[in-house]
Amino acid sequence: MRRLFYLVREAWANMRTNRMTTIVAILTTAFTLTCVGIFLLLYVNLRHAAGWLQEDVKIMVYLDDRLSRDGRLQLELMLKSDRMVAEVLYISKEQALSEFRAQFPDDSHLLEGLGENPLPASFVVTLAPNFRSPEAMKDWVEQVQTMEGVAKVDYNQQWISVLADLMGYIELAAIGVGVLLSAAAVTIIGNTIRLALFARREEIEILRSIGATGTFIRIPYFLEGAVLGACGSALSLGILKLGFEVFRQQIRFADRFSGMEGMISFFPLSACLALILAGMALGFAGSVVSLLRVGDARV
Amino acid sequence: MDAIIQLIHVSKWYDRRPALSDVMIEIEKGEFVLLMGPSGAGKSTILRMLIGEEQPDEGQLFVQGKNVTKLKRSEIPYLRRKVGSVFQDFRLLPKKSVFDNVALPLIVQGVAEKDIRRKVTEALRAVGVDHKKDQSPGSLSTGEQQRVCIARAIVNGPVVLLADEPTGNLDPERTGEIIELFKLINARGTTVIVATHNHHVMNQVNRRVITLMQGVVLPERSAPERVGV
Repeated sequence: MRRLFYLVREAWANMRTNRMTTIVAILTTAFTLTCVGIFLLLYVNLRHAAGWLQEDVKIMVYLDDRLSRDGRLQLELMLKSDRMVAEVLYISKEQALSEFRAQFPDDSHLLEGLGENPLPASFVVTLAPNFRSPEAMKDWVEQVQTMEGVAKVDYNQQWISVLADLMGYIELAAIGVGVLLSAAAVTIIGNTIRLALFARREEIEILRSIGATGTFIRIPYFLEGAVLGACGSALSLGILKLGFEVFRQQIRFADRFSGMEGMISFFPLSACLALILAGMALGFAGSVVSLLRVGDARV
Repeated sequence: MDAIIQLIHVSKWYDRRPALSDVMIEIEKGEFVLLMGPSGAGKSTILRMLIGEEQPDEGQLFVQGKNVTKLKRSEIPYLRRKVGSVFQDFRLLPKKSVFDNVALPLIVQGVAEKDIRRKVTEALRAVGVDHKKDQSPGSLSTGEQQRVCIARAIVNGPVVLLADEPTGNLDPERTGEIIELFKLINARGTTVIVATHNHHVMNQVNRRVITLMQGVVLPERSAPERVGV
């Protein structure tokens, strides 16, 4: 018990003795992790938005005007029995016309001169959640396009592909920036521990001479590294939360983005805890790097 | 009698200069030995080898039957727990109290709290500074600081006590007191090895003397032969 108390007290004493270095290490770690956090937050929200947009993607299957009623019913049955399809909604030529008039009231006169309703009947198809990837959609559309009675199949393929590509780039950038800045955090904490070691080199020498094992000598510095990492991480979450709330306020009052503030979200509590643990792990890693040769009895 | 320390044909070089040359020493359990010689004779090198701080370039070195030259790095702390060390510069932690300084070797070994209190109090009483246990080392005289250093070295009951120029920073009166303390510790069964270049210490101790000169052990003489050296 006294040993544990001693080790914790030593870690605390290290941080108090080198107060300025400790504060600088926490601040720089916090700013470094904030940069990582911005990318993570962006990634998480875009992923969320991508899921939401993909859920909303509808495929329009336009029917040939010459298709008979029986042919249309048969096609509808085929679509509904497809395991990739979640929902099929029939829009008749008349419904299409009235929807067009409702959506574009200023342009409705354009159709009046044509006499006959030029808009085709269609099926609005929603694919099952497991088949909403760009590849799956493309395959399905190609297959439906060859069916008898289908004039054209339309969906926003380009938009989905761009979104998927964008997500991939952000994911790569988040990983790259995360790795680089995590290495920076490890270096910063490692240097802080090195300074603490230098300040206490005589004490370490004494501990060695009285039979302290390498582990016993290292533990306070491991604790210090982990605490610095956790504090830096917690502070970075605070900075991110503050920035996030300011951003949300801004878009709430900006007309162009009204309603969007409800679509973005901060990290859930479990993710916050995981990030603090990750900060701890980075700090611990920084200590390990600095302490590789300390406590070695023959050195 | 059992040999507690054996140096067998031990040699050591620093930058091709011999620090120890073919040293053969055997010290029995419970002996009080003075390692004498001028600065650079190799006294401190032997003491550092006995706690695994240095390795001989040639030869073997045994402490309580264990070959120190063959110990793994992870085993050296356990050797140091059996061999107490007293230093000329005391090496006390200035920010810790006298009690905490002496308790350190016991904390390192994970000794129970109540045993720490008992053993530290006993050690401080044995060296005569138990009334200063709450003070910081900086507030003590040099003689008292050396007593605290000795208390730290004996608190976990080592089989051997090594002292490297323990009276180097003390006046003759304090030197006499510290030597008496070493005799007392030796009388309780601990093997004591004191490295010194001070001939007054030799006269005061009047025990076995191993003399080193430029890394070579000189032939030992009996106590009467040394009188007047």
